[in-house]
Amino acid sequence: MSGEGEKVFHGKTIVVSGASSGIGRAVAVHLARQGAGLVLIGRDRERLEETARQGNAPACRILELDLSRQTDIMPAIKDTVRAVGRLYGLCHAAGTVETLPLSATSPEKFQAMIQVNYLGGMELARAVTRRDILNEDGGSILFISAIYGLIGKPGQIAYSGSKGAVTAAARAMAIELARRNIRVNVLSPGIVRTEMTVKAFSGLTAQQVQALQDTHPLGFGSPEDVACAAAFLLSPESKWITGTNLVVDGGCSAQ
Amino acid sequence: MVDAQLNKGNIERGKSRMTQRDGVEWIANLFEISPEQLTPDTLRDAISAWDSLGVLTLMASLDTDFGIVLTDDDVLTIKKVGDILDIMRRNGVLTESF
Repeated sequence: MSGEGEKVFHGKTIVVSGASSGIGRAVAVHLARQGAGLVLIGRDRERLEETARQGNAPACRILELDLSRQTDIMPAIKDTVRAVGRLYGLCHAAGTVETLPLSATSPEKFQAMIQVNYLGGMELARAVTRRDILNEDGGSILFISAIYGLIGKPGQIAYSGSKGAVTAAARAMAIELARRNIRVNVLSPGIVRTEMTVKAFSGLTAQQVQALQDTHPLGFGSPEDVACAAAFLLSPESKWITGTNLVVDGGCSAQ
Repeated sequence: MVDAQLNKGNIERGKSRMTQRDGVEWIANLFEISPEQLTPDTLRDAISAWDSLGVLTLMASLDTDFGIVLTDDDVLTIKKVGDILDIMRRNGVLTESF
């Protein structure tokens, strides 16, 4: 383990998608405080700049990217590396969710969640793990999935499918990239209070929200709860862990 | 002897009329290394990314970018960068000779 005060990410640059709010922002801030240089990806420059301010990272670059446009990802990452040097890792925290019953889930709705949650993450990983982009001695890739990729809930068919796809693909990626000492892991949070989930709760009654909270023995999580676990999986302290899915859900899926 | 099939439509839409330098850059990008590290004489063993999965990447990329479809037997004859360039040249992708 690192000693108290030691910056485990000193000299390491990590790409964080979805860094403008919620879990992505919390992960970015946490990594920065442990010494990481950051490449922050999101659609809103002002929000990304606020994340950068909160983290006070030793080095920070902002990439305004819409991850549903995958063809923009590789050129942007290549340009970034020319400016900041090789990368150590990736945390794909960007995601979109919409609660819809099957009858209302059109192919377009499925596609919207697949585009960002799955395809955006895969293309980011493809770019970051290139031999001429990632550190030659390896690195760490982390996908933020969700327990809904593991357990079923009404109205989450498209979201669950996109998150389950991430989890399955990450396992295969872990095996393929292990020989280059690149670790690939997944973190599956339960319900975390973020702008995104608060918005999703807006259509629910207080009783319905309470019922959801009751499914989490330790209550809803905070973005920082997820960020602590994410930092561990990204750090060299987890150097023998790859292909795993760490569930961080306040006990929700243990029942 | 490589017996590649050519989809000229793809070439016309893609990287047609490439010089040999363009071809080397295409191969370097494929194997994620600098073009300066490659010459036509560079052997497969000298390129770490040109392993068994790299072969699949090469096959898929030749098909996607140029419409060149290689058989498994074709692939066995490719030992160095120049062999890839030769395939690209014989299929009309490269405009220059060695």
